[in-house]
Amino acid sequence: MSEQYRENEETTIESLPPLTADDTVRAIVSHDTDGAIIVDRSGVVRFLNSAAERLLNRHGAELHGKVFGFPLVVGERAEVEVLRPNGDFSVAEMRVLAIRWEGQDAILITLRDITAERQAEAALREAEEFSIAILNSLTSEIAVIDEHGRIIAVNEAWLDFGRRNGITDLSAIGIGVDYFAVCAAVSDDVYTAEILRGLKAVLRGEITEFMHEYPCTGPQGTRWFALRAVPLRGTRRGLVISHQDITDQRRAAQIAAEAEMLREQLRQMERELVNVEAISRPEEVQRSRLAPLRQRAPDLFAHALERYGAILEEALHSRVHRTPMPSQALRELGEWLGAVWATPRDLIDTHLQAIRERSQFYAPKKIQAYFEEGRLLLLELMGYLASYYRAVAAGELRDQDK
Amino acid sequence: MSKIVLQLYIAGHTPRAERAIGTLRRMIESELAGYECDLTIIDVLANPQQAEDQKILATPTLIKSSPPPYRRVIGDLSSVTDLLQVLNLPPKS
Repeated sequence: MSEQYRENEETTIESLPPLTADDTVRAIVSHDTDGAIIVDRSGVVRFLNSAAERLLNRHGAELHGKVFGFPLVVGERAEVEVLRPNGDFSVAEMRVLAIRWEGQDAILITLRDITAERQAEAALREAEEFSIAILNSLTSEIAVIDEHGRIIAVNEAWLDFGRRNGITDLSAIGIGVDYFAVCAAVSDDVYTAEILRGLKAVLRGEITEFMHEYPCTGPQGTRWFALRAVPLRGTRRGLVISHQDITDQRRAAQIAAEAEMLREQLRQMERELVNVEAISRPEEVQRSRLAPLRQRAPDLFAHALERYGAILEEALHSRVHRTPMPSQALRELGEWLGAVWATPRDLIDTHLQAIRERSQFYAPKKIQAYFEEGRLLLLELMGYLASYYRAVAAGELRDQDK
Repeated sequence: MSKIVLQLYIAGHTPRAERAIGTLRRMIESELAGYECDLTIIDVLANPQQAEDQKILATPTLIKSSPPPYRRVIGDLSSVTDLLQVLNLPPKS
């Protein structure tokens, strides 16, 4: 520090007259980077600093003696919009302090421009709303969890699933809840353990994706879901878990598998029947033997379907109420089918159509019952058809012998 | 008894503005129920010139132009009790 400066400094400090309270307040407020306005008890401006001038975009002289307003703050602070002459405005945090100014009670108002913070918050809110909108646009039930298993976001489909399953307090499956606990509450133990293992493996980075199919029993019966968990991409560690209702797909797959199994079981019987059939059929019928009943005689197929459906219903009723099975009706249907030259394939066709029609309307448990009863009925019906053809063949042979 | 004339200046329908409007409606319907009141709400975004003519520097601002004394209040207008005290209402008969 130079000699001259030290001398000047000493001169300046020592030569200053003692500061009044107003001078002290003025000095502090003038150097404040926040806007500061001193108003009297009527809200009239008595002083404002340069930061306030900049914030308001007005000259101090223009405002001095004008009414700013009596500031009301509930708690420590209030938020206001600060208006500029060009119609533009900023958002400011307003704080107040009771002081003495020029010998009178006054209020020091400080205004901190928080426009940028509020804009950043609004942008963040918008981004969050956008993310939620995307989540809500998806039909899969989605829950996003953090690395500890806490739910940090869910979509509408997830909450709807909760509602459909009788959960009235949706906060029990919402944000902040332990996902693993929710999982344990709605799924069977055997599946839960496997799901938890898979989710934790993805969280640890051991696998990049985990997929699992599991049943969930609710008021609408048992439904099947496919769970898919992938890591949350971003700064936070976590998982995005989606649940897709795959009951219909599973049902379709089950029907397909059932059909395949029936074909397998009947292939053997079919081979045997074909021989008997060939002997028993007149030549003109044999020529058209490859055409299925459904195609060559749709009305006969519809009639067969109706009768088979009625027998299937009766069989299911017998199973529940332990009454005798409708064997006589089934025998008559078998003979009728033989009379119209139905083939084993026509029987399978009829059976599958009857099951398919019922699978659209009934719960999985009842569909399973139709499968089981239908399989037995079909085998029995096939037997009656074979007997019919055998009897016809035997008759023909007798005729030939005569 | 002279009519109570109030003007509320807001900058768009922000939650802050809605809160102020709610407080004033409550105050007029309950504490000032026995008085003739005229409340006008002016959105400075729609009427910038009116705000400038009145030298409105911040919103929400509430002006009581009648009965005297004239009062102008800014900030958090969510407390009916504070508002009544600052506005010197209800008027002393």
